[in-house]
Amino acid sequence: MNSLDDRGGHRVSLVGAGKRYGAVRALAGVDLEVEAGRFLVLLGPSGSGKTTLVRALAGIERLDEGELRIGDRLVSGPRTHVPPEQRDLAMVFQDYALWPHLTAFGNVGYALRRRKLAADQAKARSLEALERVGLVGLAERYPHELSGGQQQRVALARAIVAQPGLLLFDEPLSNLDTDLRERLRVEIATLTRQCGATAVYITHDQAEAFALADVIGVLDQGQLVQLADPETLYLKPATPFVARFTGLSGELSGIVVGPDQEDFFVIEVGQWRVRARSASTLKAGDAVRVLIRPAATALVDSEADSAVETSVGSSVGTVSGTVIDVAYRGRGYDHVIACGDRHLASVFSARPWARGTQVKLSLDPTGCLAFPLNDSAEISYDGEVTAVMAGSEPAATNRGVTE
Amino acid sequence: MAVTTLVAPTSARARAAVGWARKAPFALFWLLVAAILLLPILLFLLVAFSPRLFDQGPRWFSLSGFQGAFQGPMLRGILDTLLVGVVTALASAAVGFAVAWVVHRTRVPGRRLWSGSMFALLLVPSYLIALGWERLLEPSGVLDLLHVPDSFARSLLFGPVGVIGVLTVKGIPFAYLAISAGLRGLGEEFEAAVRVHGGGRPAATRTVLALLAPAIWSSLAIVFAESISDFGVASTLANDAHFPIATFELYDAVYNFPVQFPIAAAVGWILLAMAVLALVAQNAALRGRSYRVLGGRTRPARRRELSLRATIGVFVGLLVLFLLSLGVPTFGAISASLMTGLGTLEGGASFSFANYGRALTSPSLYQPLLYSALLATITATVTVLLGLVVARLLTTRRGRVSARTLDLLLITAVALPGIVFAAGYIFTYNLPLINNLGIHLYETTTLLVLGYIATALPPASRVLFGSVGQVQESLREAARVHGSNAPASWLRVMLPLLARPLLAAWSLTFGATLLELPVSQLLYPPNDPTVSVGIENALSKYDYAGGTAMEVVAVLAALTVIGLVWGIFQLAAPAGWRRLGRTS
Repeated sequence: MNSLDDRGGHRVSLVGAGKRYGAVRALAGVDLEVEAGRFLVLLGPSGSGKTTLVRALAGIERLDEGELRIGDRLVSGPRTHVPPEQRDLAMVFQDYALWPHLTAFGNVGYALRRRKLAADQAKARSLEALERVGLVGLAERYPHELSGGQQQRVALARAIVAQPGLLLFDEPLSNLDTDLRERLRVEIATLTRQCGATAVYITHDQAEAFALADVIGVLDQGQLVQLADPETLYLKPATPFVARFTGLSGELSGIVVGPDQEDFFVIEVGQWRVRARSASTLKAGDAVRVLIRPAATALVDSEADSAVETSVGSSVGTVSGTVIDVAYRGRGYDHVIACGDRHLASVFSARPWARGTQVKLSLDPTGCLAFPLNDSAEISYDGEVTAVMAGSEPAATNRGVTE
Repeated sequence: MAVTTLVAPTSARARAAVGWARKAPFALFWLLVAAILLLPILLFLLVAFSPRLFDQGPRWFSLSGFQGAFQGPMLRGILDTLLVGVVTALASAAVGFAVAWVVHRTRVPGRRLWSGSMFALLLVPSYLIALGWERLLEPSGVLDLLHVPDSFARSLLFGPVGVIGVLTVKGIPFAYLAISAGLRGLGEEFEAAVRVHGGGRPAATRTVLALLAPAIWSSLAIVFAESISDFGVASTLANDAHFPIATFELYDAVYNFPVQFPIAAAVGWILLAMAVLALVAQNAALRGRSYRVLGGRTRPARRRELSLRATIGVFVGLLVLFLLSLGVPTFGAISASLMTGLGTLEGGASFSFANYGRALTSPSLYQPLLYSALLATITATVTVLLGLVVARLLTTRRGRVSARTLDLLLITAVALPGIVFAAGYIFTYNLPLINNLGIHLYETTTLLVLGYIATALPPASRVLFGSVGQVQESLREAARVHGSNAPASWLRVMLPLLARPLLAAWSLTFGATLLELPVSQLLYPPNDPTVSVGIENALSKYDYAGGTAMEVVAVLAALTVIGLVWGIFQLAAPAGWRRLGRTS
């Protein structure tokens, strides 16, 4: 086993975390638990509180309310604030935060000071960390002599070199171009799991979140609105906000016709009927919005009949519209379809459909999510949407609607 | 372990104690700011309206100080100051603009030398320039002893023309720097746009001038404020020429019997009002217009190739300016320091190093230098540390009331003449109330150092403000997260990053304090004259050669110490520290 390999991570437990900046409430009572060694991604838009949360975990910000435990140790509470250097953690910053007066080797070695190793051991560990990120040949370079990707790798080596129990990532890939971002994402996923530390990673990029996470927490206005594994989050979002933030083709308004199988309902959308999943108890006649995932849409030849016979006896599952835009995406074409007064975007097809063509669109019910129109509050598939126990085995996490 | 965990039973009291402990350094800092910046100025300026409040007259509210300021030699001094300020501002802005244009927009040879000489001129105290000229042109001066006819030049120097000339020379670098900053941001597309739409070269120049209005106005305002608050020329050349200047009249009112604090304070108000009016005029001239010319798409302007004749003309012009501003005073000082019989009617000149021998062996000449060097070292060190705290407060607490107050205080302090500062110190720390509090600082070295720190802190914190603001907070946070406590994160991360600006601020403060005049003149402890006071004393005793030798030694000492400090930095600082801020 390598000297940088699994040393075990810390369990992280946050109860009622609150933080204010003047009149702005950045964190509004967040409860969160991450099992040791799990990779949690906090996903949210700007201003949702994710940066504040990760900085509070680091100890850079003091919480106004709540308690934070790292491992078994209370590190933040009403009368306690353990400074960052004593929390046994490391962090990869959005702007890398490499010290410009130190070489790559110096930057990485800095994080080993707290381990109080002999000089030759420290040197060996630093070089090993640099080797892991493929930069051992550039150890004597200063940060400004490295490219953006190389700088981020040094930051990553600095974070793992001291084998901390908790690794924090503050949008570490947001300054990089798409290709480099993808390569570094893989490196982060691999290295973090190799060193066995618990990881908390924040991002506003849902693709990044889905690719990296064991568990995803979605933050909105300082509150954790859902904590679940990526599949559950995608298929059974707790709120329209979560659904929108994790990728939609578009929304349609409709009226509930009646229940279908399990937690599915038949919804009348204009002149069409579609099937959609909902965690709410919907009654016939309720006004709803149907949020449609891009993957649920498919263009069908107008001759083909994709309608499905349902328990209420009507044929449902297809809407029609007009192609108003088409964009080549390499593996095929994305279309924007006008359905009545609404638009559905990112409708994929292997072949292009010309602008102005009348088309039929089949909608997969598993990717259609119905929410009551007048319900802005969060809803729950199983009554404990933000009962935030992340990181334990999938069965223990919030799995959303009845399995 | 540095965990701030408290135990339950005494928690409320303990929490309060921790709260106080956390606030204590901040409170101490504000106490110091109040003691060295706020109180002396406030109390001194207050006496102009309420003499009785400080036992300076019978009435609680009176404008007699202002009445006194607006009559006799005081009024003359104020009017002269206004004249000097306006003419100097216009002349410096014109010359500064020309130099900036030539250096930044043409290929004239020696651009580095011209630009470097502007910085050198910025650092030389005005009284040294004035004294250099005086030594050359005074009766029995260097030119007299060398039998060079100089009566016309002398009559010009010892009058308004000389005073305005020296202050203009001192104002040129301010104008140069302000206008250079504007020129650098002004790409060539504006000129190109005029030319492609039918405008000729004069039209393009007019457009450029209009776009540079903020820089021009700011150079006018800065030079005006600098000139009216100058004390170096006022106490040397202007005084010798019997051309009264407000700052010297203020000094006279505070230093000579009968002491007239209310009148001095009124003059202080008037000087402050003049500086404020200059800033108001600048604001009014620019209001309602946008001068945002610098953007990501700005193309840098090209340098113009001058014709041979124009190149020679411009080069000679710059050479003359360089000689008049730096060359002549330097020649005057050095030649005077090497002469014997200067200022006497002995006639005939002989050159020797005897004056330097005296300057280095006579206690009355070398002791002030040692004393000033010690005070300058203390002042520079304390000022840089305080300046760092100020810069940090201004950058991290931007927008908060405390930061805004501190910012305003520092800007006011920059606009305030040094002599008003010094007068405020004499006045405040000589008040019976202060003595009753057990604070006996009047005529002590401590008060002099406090005065130095107060005058040096605003510019030093301005120098550091930019650099401290540039350091990303995440660098220090990264140090904390990766194992350093707060002091260690400052030492290992912030100190290396800020080493160069800290050293620059230290050098500037050291040099300025070593040769400082107005505060020294008013606050030096009896029997312990500073170097500038020592030079003035020697000159007042007609020991021109000894005084000038001391002046040269003092300048060389300042340059040597600064050179040594930078040399040690280059040799001893780790490679990473030295790389920062260096251009490739």
